[in-house]
Amino acid sequence: MALQEIWNGTISFSLVAIPVKLVRAVEAGRVSFRKLHSKDYSPLARKMYCPKEETIVPADEIVRGYEIAPDKYIVITDKELESVSPERSRTIEIIEFIDIKDVDPVYYDHPYYLVPSKGGEKAYRLLVEVLDRTHKAGLAKFVLREREYLVAVKSTDGALALITLHYSGEILPDEDLVPKEEKAESEEKSRMKKIIKKMTADFHPDKYADERRKKITKLLEKKAKKQGTVEAPEIEEEVEEGVVDLVAVLEESMRKVKEHK
Amino acid sequence: MNRKVVEAAGKRLSLSNLKKDLYPSYGFTKAQVLDYYRKIADFILPHLKDRALTLKRYPDGTEKDYFFEKRCPVHRPAWVKTAEVHHKEVRLTACLVNDLETLIWVENLASLELHVPLARAGSPKTPDSIVFDLDPGDKADILDCSKVAMILRDLLSQMKLASYLKTSGKKGLHVYVPLNRKEATFEETKKFSKAVAEVLQRNYPELVTAKMTKEERTKRVFINWSQNDPSKTMICVYSLRAGEKPVVSFPLEWEELEMLAKKGDPKKFRILHSEAVSRLEKKGDLFRELLTKKQKLPLGSSDTLR
Repeated sequence: MALQEIWNGTISFSLVAIPVKLVRAVEAGRVSFRKLHSKDYSPLARKMYCPKEETIVPADEIVRGYEIAPDKYIVITDKELESVSPERSRTIEIIEFIDIKDVDPVYYDHPYYLVPSKGGEKAYRLLVEVLDRTHKAGLAKFVLREREYLVAVKSTDGALALITLHYSGEILPDEDLVPKEEKAESEEKSRMKKIIKKMTADFHPDKYADERRKKITKLLEKKAKKQGTVEAPEIEEEVEEGVVDLVAVLEESMRKVKEHK
Repeated sequence: MNRKVVEAAGKRLSLSNLKKDLYPSYGFTKAQVLDYYRKIADFILPHLKDRALTLKRYPDGTEKDYFFEKRCPVHRPAWVKTAEVHHKEVRLTACLVNDLETLIWVENLASLELHVPLARAGSPKTPDSIVFDLDPGDKADILDCSKVAMILRDLLSQMKLASYLKTSGKKGLHVYVPLNRKEATFEETKKFSKAVAEVLQRNYPELVTAKMTKEERTKRVFINWSQNDPSKTMICVYSLRAGEKPVVSFPLEWEELEMLAKKGDPKKFRILHSEAVSRLEKKGDLFRELLTKKQKLPLGSSDTLR
């Protein structure tokens, strides 16, 4: 199945340039629901509500404010925001290669796959192989959806993965989370080691599944079979009068066209 | 370096990579692209004027990656005219190609294809025309599009609407109905074009579909009515297309379409850059009336369509 391309460009470092496409590597497994009006199952829309005026605020009256203190804001316009937004990347310019094991998973933000574009297949395979053998990953700055990310390009199962990383400033300190040390006794240590050894297995993620999701899906299937579905009313019904006339006019004209043939 | 500084209307422009081959399998350099647009500038500019341009850039030629740019690049010269437009709730600054120097500047960015909306930036809710984008599905071709185009022309003329035709420069045809009254909204033109597409589908189910799904389109011509939308753009008449060869999206007279349909050779619909230039010199802008002819959307006034 062809995955939808999110970005295309080239990976480059030194004299290497590999044309690639960025595609999703994961799909959120959440079952999502629409909110409906219970009395006629019309899908509901979110509106911006002003509690002071007790009214719905139209889009052109909405601005962004950065809250600096309660009820104190700095207003930022679209233009200002645009002026500080980075330009879209054309390349994933690798700055340095690091040992992928040095990157604590805490830094991992979101994974994508990179797939070779036409003409890049050979260089792509070469990079996959070398990264795989050396356990290295390329670090790069990369702009995606108007945000600049630090990303790691690594090999995974014969392909390249791009993982957006958190900046170090986003990682919360863990110092105060851990109780101050009290020397563990070697006996306890070896007991724990034994338990872990006993429970050690190969990682087979397919053994596990989202049980709640499974149950919801089953419930949905059951309900669909038993009770069928409910339908939202046609919203446009009222306006359609003109279209009915229009269709009549069109059909009449069509008939005339066919007669002339 | 193949870089050159030129002056147009007293404005200096630095042109770069002039020798770069942008259509490598055919052989057509950036200098030739610029030359094409310079020669046809007088004809294309009225159709680009005051419309928010979407650039489709091929920095490394048509066989390499391209990208769309709705925002006017921030490194633009000060004299490039822009407009603030809304695209799906997002406000952005778009280029307006209103003069030769902007056209040359845009082409220097390797924006081989020029895409514009049906409405002008100053009146974004009311399109100047309705478009029927005829797109052949798998196992259908431009000859099938021609059949649909002619039925469409007849149907429209039954409703006293003149229509104009151009090739897409790729596989399809575009039929335009000028309005130029700043009256009908996109909502109304979309409704109209959808109803037309559906009537054609009902009457010619073997030939026409009004549905986007791939299976429906096989062996049929998809009338893409959804192009009548403020967020959509169409390839501008006289724009080059990025393909193997520098083919142009070019107007055809209805009589010529009939002839081409009789000949039955899809390749004859392809109008290359050089032919585009010589045709324009001979016959002028066949799409002129698209910008001037005032027509009313049938039943499109607020009292019937609301």
